[in-house]
Amino acid sequence: MKITFPHLGNVYFAAKALFDELGIEYVVPPLSNKEALEIGTLYSPEEICLPFKIMIGNYIKSIENGADTIIITGSCGPCRFGEYCELQMNILKKLNKNVDFIVMDVPSDIGIKEIFNRVGKISSNSSKSKKEKIKALVKALKIINMIDEIEADAHYIAGYEKNSGDSKRLLNKCKRDAINSKSADEMINILSEYKRKINFIEIDKERKPLKIAIIGEIYTIIEPFSNLYIEDKLMDYGVSSKRTLSPSWWVKNTALSPLKINSLDIKKASKRYLSLCIGGHARECVGEAVIAKNEGFDGAIQIFPMGCMPEIVSKAILPTVSKDLNIPIMSLIVDEMTGEAGYITRIEAFIDLLERRRKSVLFRS
Amino acid sequence: MMKIGIPRGLLYYNYQTFIDSFFYELGCEIIYSENTNKTILDNGVKYCVDEACLPIKVFHGHVYSLREKSDMIFIPRIMRLYKNEFICPKFCGLPEMVKNSIPNLPPVIQDTLYADSKTVLKKWAFSIGEKITNDRRKIENAFSISLKKHKDSKKGIRDKNYKINVALSGHPYNIYDNFLNMNVIKKLNRLNVGVITEEKLNEEYINRQVLNLYKKPFWTFARNTYGFTTYLAENSLVDGIIYISSFACGIDSVVIELIKDRIGNFPFLILKIDEHTGEAGFDTRIEAFVDMIERRKGIEDNISASW
Ligand code: SF4
Ligand code: SF4
Repeated sequence: MKITFPHLGNVYFAAKALFDELGIEYVVPPLSNKEALEIGTLYSPEEICLPFKIMIGNYIKSIENGADTIIITGSCGPCRFGEYCELQMNILKKLNKNVDFIVMDVPSDIGIKEIFNRVGKISSNSSKSKKEKIKALVKALKIINMIDEIEADAHYIAGYEKNSGDSKRLLNKCKRDAINSKSADEMINILSEYKRKINFIEIDKERKPLKIAIIGEIYTIIEPFSNLYIEDKLMDYGVSSKRTLSPSWWVKNTALSPLKINSLDIKKASKRYLSLCIGGHARECVGEAVIAKNEGFDGAIQIFPMGCMPEIVSKAILPTVSKDLNIPIMSLIVDEMTGEAGYITRIEAFIDLLERRRKSVLFRS
Repeated sequence: MMKIGIPRGLLYYNYQTFIDSFFYELGCEIIYSENTNKTILDNGVKYCVDEACLPIKVFHGHVYSLREKSDMIFIPRIMRLYKNEFICPKFCGLPEMVKNSIPNLPPVIQDTLYADSKTVLKKWAFSIGEKITNDRRKIENAFSISLKKHKDSKKGIRDKNYKINVALSGHPYNIYDNFLNMNVIKKLNRLNVGVITEEKLNEEYINRQVLNLYKKPFWTFARNTYGFTTYLAENSLVDGIIYISSFACGIDSVVIELIKDRIGNFPFLILKIDEHTGEAGFDTRIEAFVDMIERRKGIEDNISASW
């Protein structure tokens, strides 16, 4: 068995460490890129949402590199994500790709027994003891938390750095070094090192950079290729950005949700505008817009794939949030046709707008 | 008398008997929006978020038209019709979408409904009834009368005595809103084609069809449409399937693929609608499909005749 998985932000670091520790063979798909999208678009139903297409591209590249088992997380609605696996299986079957799917649904939907069954399929390929397996999992979780934190720090510090480009360079180097590590422990050491280093980036405390929150559909805001690397661009502009949703957030949120104590701050913030979970992360999107205002951010950018059902609901609500709280919010919709030039123009125009607003406020006071 | 505005859009088509009777028994004056027309569509397009699907836009248009005529508008948040299933994220967020998109709305009746058991349904009916009257007996009465009427009401279409028959599938509001679907049923009948809709197929058969899937569809629409179309196709109970689907419908994008996978080359026509769909092209596609079925049938008849 040679395992692979679709990309989602920094997940591949944790996955690499986990499978290294378990001694299971795996293939990390090449980072999502144009080729993955082209392959995915070719084989996917036209009207399916963008994440589906890029994921198909990831699988096919991995299969070319010898993968025969695909792990994905599932969900049972109300959004399309839960139906991804069935369609994807059919597509690969039609392409004569002989692969197994292991779908990690949430226990409440398929029963705890089935979960053990599916986890068993993976872990029976590892010769490690149960204790070692648990240790491996703990390390993987630690890694995803660390890398997400480093990344979040870099995005934020980018607004304050004295030498422009420092944080971006450090982040890129960190990722390069981490992925070349030979074991989970080595990766943890590397990440600790960079966690320390990032605090030594020279910053200008007097600067008051623009601050923008990135909100919207979870895949498109986490997987950088799908949003045309918006966070990198903001770093280049010297804007501080923040994104709450991340793989580590997802893990925590999923673990706590049966107890209903997940993301209490977001739930509270969204209450006035959207008090229920309607699928996807629409409630989070609305709640984060409110939180961005409370934390003194200048604006928020919502990103979602064309046709994304839950985010269309939040898009209808955001103008009210924006008006009530006096915070500009821009929606960017991405699909395989999104042109980079127009996209950048919109981001730049938004940044201009935020800058002008700042000035006019200064002026009035 | 309290004037309740009822938008004739989305699931109104499924539950109109219940809704009409319930508010009538409560002693409200009911103000309906007109059947969907150009003005309603245009206002819907104007006020709704661009990215939404046609039925949601049209619903906005219906609400808009009721804005100045009613004391309250009925926009229930329908979360679920069956146990462990969902409808569509847009239904769950419907009241929010509408309220944030159309200015100056009167109060909205938006009570959340999980219609998977009678007790819950009753509770929901009471929470609405109490906004209108203090007389609990009256609400109780209105509820049981309306539920009975709903159960007795005739649902679905099954044409008889046509040479060619097709399964007409899609979400109820696409099938029953004759403006949205450009009178597709009449058009078919005129071409001598009869239609049958999913309400006419026993649920047991529908549920049996979905057992073959790796994962049971969690959308009620998906389960129904998939079960209905594939059953009729596999048992040759119709000559073809016509699926009316709105552009940008996330659910249809999945269901259509699942159906295609199952039925092979059984005649299957997908008619996509949005506010730009032109009637001429729409008609041509229907005619071409019917021609194709006729040819197929002709060949089959010839084969069986030569046996
Ligand atoms: S949340 Fe949006 S992008 Fe994700 S599966 Fe649902 S519709 Fe697709
Ligand atoms: S089910 Fe499809 S057509 Fe109906 S509201 Fe949802 S997205 Fe629109």
